[in-house]
Amino acid sequence: MEVFLKVENITKQFAGHTALDDVSLEVPRGCVYGLLGPNGAGKTTLIRIINHITAPDKGRVWFNGHPLSPADVANIGYLPEERGLYKTMKVGEQALYFAQLKGLSKAEATARLKKWFVKFGIEGWWNKKVSELSKGMAQKVQFIVTVLHEPQLLIFDEPFSGFDPINANLLKNEILELRDKGATVIFSTHNMASVEEVCDHITLINKSKNILSGSLDEVRRSHGGNIFEVDFRGNKESLVGALAGLPCGLLDESLIADEDKENRSERALKIHIERDEDVRSVVEVINNTVQLRTFREVIPSMNDIFIQAVAKHSAK
Amino acid sequence: MGKIKIIAEREFNERVRKKSFIITTILMPIAFVAIMFVPALMMNISSDEKKEIIVVDQSGMVGERLQDDGQMMFSLSDKGFDTLKEENNEVFGILVIGEDVATNPSNLQLFTYESSTINIESAITEQVRNIIEAEKLKQYNIDDLDRILGEIKTPVSLQVKQLNESGEAKDSSAILNIALAYVFGFLIYMFVFLYGNMVMQGVIEEKSSKVMEVMVSSVKPFQLMMGKILGIAAVAITQFMIWVVFILVVGAGAMSLLGGDELLAAAQASAAMDPAMASMSGTEMSLDKDAAALINTITDPGYLVRILGGFLLYFVGGYLLYAAMFAAVGSAVDNEKDTNNLQLPITIPLILALFVMMSAMQEPNGPLAVWFSMIPFTSPIVMMVRLPYGVPDGFWISVLLLYGTFLAMVWLAGKIYRVGVFMYGKKPTLGELLKWARYKS
Repeated sequence: MEVFLKVENITKQFAGHTALDDVSLEVPRGCVYGLLGPNGAGKTTLIRIINHITAPDKGRVWFNGHPLSPADVANIGYLPEERGLYKTMKVGEQALYFAQLKGLSKAEATARLKKWFVKFGIEGWWNKKVSELSKGMAQKVQFIVTVLHEPQLLIFDEPFSGFDPINANLLKNEILELRDKGATVIFSTHNMASVEEVCDHITLINKSKNILSGSLDEVRRSHGGNIFEVDFRGNKESLVGALAGLPCGLLDESLIADEDKENRSERALKIHIERDEDVRSVVEVINNTVQLRTFREVIPSMNDIFIQAVAKHSAK
Repeated sequence: MGKIKIIAEREFNERVRKKSFIITTILMPIAFVAIMFVPALMMNISSDEKKEIIVVDQSGMVGERLQDDGQMMFSLSDKGFDTLKEENNEVFGILVIGEDVATNPSNLQLFTYESSTINIESAITEQVRNIIEAEKLKQYNIDDLDRILGEIKTPVSLQVKQLNESGEAKDSSAILNIALAYVFGFLIYMFVFLYGNMVMQGVIEEKSSKVMEVMVSSVKPFQLMMGKILGIAAVAITQFMIWVVFILVVGAGAMSLLGGDELLAAAQASAAMDPAMASMSGTEMSLDKDAAALINTITDPGYLVRILGGFLLYFVGGYLLYAAMFAAVGSAVDNEKDTNNLQLPITIPLILALFVMMSAMQEPNGPLAVWFSMIPFTSPIVMMVRLPYGVPDGFWISVLLLYGTFLAMVWLAGKIYRVGVFMYGKKPTLGELLKWARYKS
């Protein structure tokens, strides 16, 4: 794993409160990195530091192997959560303006913009005023402006807000495509379902501290309590009896009761297996007792992990 | 610096293309003339209605000789003041001339039913004084008094020539100097206010529409601020240049249509139309001579270069200084309503400068004018009074101070701006603003 962006022991204080307290993280090259956390946790401050908008009190940021310098900003595309356009300006002119501020020449920017406008099916908007656009339309323009200069690092803060599911999906695919072309993406959102869909790695920040980092799979597995769901056909009591002799706990009998309908012989059961126990021996017992249909590990959702981790950290 | 240019270009294009720019370019000169000259005109026409004054003359000498004029009508009355007072006549007032007014000139009273005016009071005083003086002269029994007095009367006309270093004498027109000082001083005041406000509104708009959030990742807040200030400065200069060209075209047109003599006559007529200006200079001059001096002064290229060059130098400097302050205020608030308190430190020196300019006209090289034309916050307006009389001592020091202060102010404003643009929902005080300036980036 090659690290593209490294945040090293960053501390940032504002008058009276600490926004970031000794935060470190490593963003691998070419991945989508989820930056998560409750409101006011310090995410935006961290993003602003990476963008060279504010400077940290302590700590350093490494960008592509060298300490972050103001010149690197040209290689970053940032879509802030709070975003706006000049209302009285025409869409095309405005997009050109932002592109030029990112260092593109007028001709180059025009050519690239035309391509993107066609791709998003908004060619007809070039001469429209921003005030005529809906929120979702304006968001599309902003997305284009963010990625137009083909930066190595993209930072999206709540990119899907204001989008209908179809356009959100379009955008999600664009983000994944940009990643596949080699861009590194930092993705900040409160929508955990979209985190599961697009993120490769995550970091969870709570109360100015990094409380959880890692690849999405790793994080989810490590938060799984070794819980397995068993779907079976057959007699419940005999299975429960057979499992009683094994070092595993029966978790959710209600699940069985719910499924135990007159005309259905399929049942489900949630069991917890001790971490060091051999799963195969449990499966064998089940298989010998009832007709096993599925046996799978229950992986907690990012939503659950988020709530659990934040509650646990806040309680400390 | 490339980014500042891109930002300035956008600011310029967006504003110059707007309809409101074209409209203000046309309407501003009209509004300007109105603001400056309507009060003077009003003073002349308001006296259309004659004030009726009943005269109770106990001296028996003055009353019958009082003459009606443009603003007053006198009517003698035999009744005593006490009776008249009770009658409550529908007149402006009652003038009571004491029996011994010749020896005791303060025994002269005017009772009015409405508030009196300086014009009326001085006109009455003047008339009574002349009557008493004439009466006193008569008591010397000089033969041929009227003829002698007629011969004595001499209309003096002072012709002012200003000597330059090479000993060359040039006409100097006090009226023109004062008029230009007034126009240019006022113009700077208005431009700084209007365009400074434009900067402030632009910053507030960027902040409240959250365009700022998108911008800051590509440009430094300082670049954003400077780009805006410079772009709007270009708008102001463009507007001013349009007016200059317009005036030149109209002037040249009038010149070719009328020819020299007629123009001189026209100049006389316009000078005669403005008694307020003439009385401000404190001199009564022969209009012929003065108009000639006026024409000679205004066609002197050195004079024009000095006035226009000085104006541009101070206009740009003054605008830059104040625009930086306006930008800092704009960055600190979420909407325009919250700017009132923060604007005070900007508006007070500006208004002060305008007042100092007015009084400095009496004495363009007096201590008041000299000091305030050195202080950078007031110098752009006050210096306009001194420039028509030649390049004053310390002119370049004043210019240097102005531009130096601008640089310091931009630095300070940039620091406030950088913090301010990310502050939402707060209504900061001036003290907080200064505290922001000390934050690390």
